[in-house]
Amino acid sequence: MSWLDASSAHAATEAMDEGDDGGPDQGARPGPGAGRRGRMKPPKSGAARNGSRRRTAGKYWTPRAKREAWVFLALALPNIVLIAFFTYRPLFANMYYSTLDWTLGSSVATAVGWGNYVEFFTSSDASTVLGITAIFTIATVGGAMFLGLLVAIALNAKVKGQGFARSAVFAPYVLSGVGVGLVWLFIFDPVYGVLSWILRGFGASSPQWINDPKLALVMVIIVYVWKNLGYCAVIYLAGLQSMPKDLMEAASLDGAGSFRRFMSITLPLLSPTTFFILITSLLSSLQAFDIIRIMTRTGNGTNTLIFESYLQAFSTYNRAGYSAAISVVLFVLLLLLTGAQLRFVERKVHYS
Amino acid sequence: MSAQFDRRRFMALSGLGLGATALAACSGPSTSGGSGATAAAATDWSKVKPAAKISFMSSHPGTSQPIEQTLIDAFQSANPDIKVDLITGGSNYEEVAQKFQTAQAGNNVPDVVVASDVWWFRYSLSSTIVPVDEILKAVNDKTSDYNTTLYDDYKYDNAHWAVPYARSTPLFYYNKDHFKAAGVPDRAPKSWEEFAQWAPKIKAANAGQPGYANAYQYPALAGYAGWTLQNVLWGYGGGWSKEWDITADSDATVKALQWVQDTIVKDGWAGVSSKDAVSDMTAGAVSSTVSSTGDLVGTIKAAKAKNMNIGVGFLPGGPVSTSPVCPTGGAGLVIAKKTSPERQLASAMFVSFMTNAANTAQFSAATGYMPVRTTADMSSVISKTPEIQVALDQLKVTKSQDYARVFLPGADQEMAKAAAKFMNEKADVKATMTALSATLEGIYNKDVKPKLKS
Repeated sequence: MSWLDASSAHAATEAMDEGDDGGPDQGARPGPGAGRRGRMKPPKSGAARNGSRRRTAGKYWTPRAKREAWVFLALALPNIVLIAFFTYRPLFANMYYSTLDWTLGSSVATAVGWGNYVEFFTSSDASTVLGITAIFTIATVGGAMFLGLLVAIALNAKVKGQGFARSAVFAPYVLSGVGVGLVWLFIFDPVYGVLSWILRGFGASSPQWINDPKLALVMVIIVYVWKNLGYCAVIYLAGLQSMPKDLMEAASLDGAGSFRRFMSITLPLLSPTTFFILITSLLSSLQAFDIIRIMTRTGNGTNTLIFESYLQAFSTYNRAGYSAAISVVLFVLLLLLTGAQLRFVERKVHYS
Repeated sequence: MSAQFDRRRFMALSGLGLGATALAACSGPSTSGGSGATAAAATDWSKVKPAAKISFMSSHPGTSQPIEQTLIDAFQSANPDIKVDLITGGSNYEEVAQKFQTAQAGNNVPDVVVASDVWWFRYSLSSTIVPVDEILKAVNDKTSDYNTTLYDDYKYDNAHWAVPYARSTPLFYYNKDHFKAAGVPDRAPKSWEEFAQWAPKIKAANAGQPGYANAYQYPALAGYAGWTLQNVLWGYGGGWSKEWDITADSDATVKALQWVQDTIVKDGWAGVSSKDAVSDMTAGAVSSTVSSTGDLVGTIKAAKAKNMNIGVGFLPGGPVSTSPVCPTGGAGLVIAKKTSPERQLASAMFVSFMTNAANTAQFSAATGYMPVRTTADMSSVISKTPEIQVALDQLKVTKSQDYARVFLPGADQEMAKAAAKFMNEKADVKATMTALSATLEGIYNKDVKPKLKS
């Protein structure tokens, strides 16, 4: 349960911070092409709407304002109830569980206050788990964004078969993580994997991808980047295609080379896209679960915060309270990260 | 952004308010009262009528889904008033355990559940299952013909908490063709010393084959490394623990595991499977391994399809002890507590039926797991798969597992992690095991000792 709680907790962060009323994951991710004109853009009508709301909130409840209030409630209430029940209820229940010493499945538990948190932060678990989480997140977000941008630039070129190429790049993103994990296991398996077969052709032996914790982390990072690269690429591509041509032409006339044009015009103009991808992929990387669970069942070297939280409750430890504490740590981390991004990083974003 | 933020903030706040009210209705564990002890009044089973429908949650160990369904059909025709639903609870014991434990939060727990060696004890400590002695008596199962070793594995606090079902021991599996090519005897080695003599020859003789890796493959760490390693540990006079005393860093244990590390790192004839050692062997990549008897029938079938000859034998002994060096293992059937006496009675009828002499023989024939009743007639099974005889003979020289592995929550995982360190990362054995000992000690003191009865 606490794992479920954790994931809905994250859905909560997403919902709150992205202003997405739909709640769970999918809602927060725009389809292909929704890219640059995503919801990070300040609405132009802001001032006007503010005005009307101030009037409603004033002293007088005119019949019209009353009616509007009812309409508002009728439209918003179903959503609020859903969010409250499926997001906030588990979120707060999870926080409560994190103060218990509770064996999963047991009907009784002992309250231990901050005990689980103290244990997590004073044991060596904290540094290992947070370190692995940091490496995994930075590598997957950075890797997918960098490669995604390169792929988007390549796909932006007008060549034959670009439609096919675009779908091919995006395809892994729609695949089920479990399927992807299983297939890649057949590639990485040191005994009968495809990779080891190729390596043997060169007379080399396969590295212990699964058994060596460091390589296991590298392995899941590779697979995760492969799977999510398409997402970044498609959104970058949408950004690239709405690039104003006149600016480019003007720059060319002024004698800027293609590299200079990219650095000084394309990249700054892509900054809203970059910002959007940064937030969404950071959130999804911190919650990455399926591939890690399938490829490295014991979490040896790949126990990121969310996976450690799962392992503690469900693998063999059954420490539901401790697991809940770890997912609260993850929740707070996500909240801080997203808050910091909205506050500081967005300042550097250019809206054309 | 301001307008949007206002709306969002409003949503967040209204959500908060409602969340708090909804929280009051949630069903978590109770923090008041004692330990939910087994003090409930004894049920008079003679007055209980069995329920009309129960569910059986299994991971189908040893690809046993078809035989499980066959036995269920037989049960239903013998007891037309009881319907049994077979639920797939996952692909291994851990996934079934996860589903059973999370089901405790709701009101619809499965009635009969497959529970491996490391799970039943935890269920009994957290009072999610019922002891089987009384209730089996009520359905006229004498239980006296259960194999005593296997049945008594489930004894705690003067009661049995499960019946043996898919019970196994590890076996030594080897590729007869590979052994022949190396000119070593066509049998399992008597001791690991003997195998250490053979191994370089086996590796040299088969190294030319494409994809060949090792003379011996240690089972995958995710696949219960702590279980099979007990064989080497006991052979050296060590172990994970002596009852509740953790001995994972004793000299004998460290010496045994140092030997394990040497076979991989120094002598280079052994490796560790990434996923499944038996698959590595049927792929022709390794010449031998140790795996559960539950894999026996499937492995022989897979080997035959590839024209490969597989032999099995007893687990090799060590320098200190040559027998018993084989742990028992596998899974039993437990009966859930959070149901009703009616359903529990029907469950008892069902577990008794699933493990009766005729059915345990059938189950054994289909999988390779041990027959759990001494009265089971195995002659037709053995004439079909003669290798099962080896497993049966070995059952007489088995030993129950070290407490630290089966009774400490998470211990198996910690053992696998430690094994990964000294087997794959060439870590110092003594240091790794000292750290493991401390971890196990911690689990015992925190999660087990306070909850032990008597």
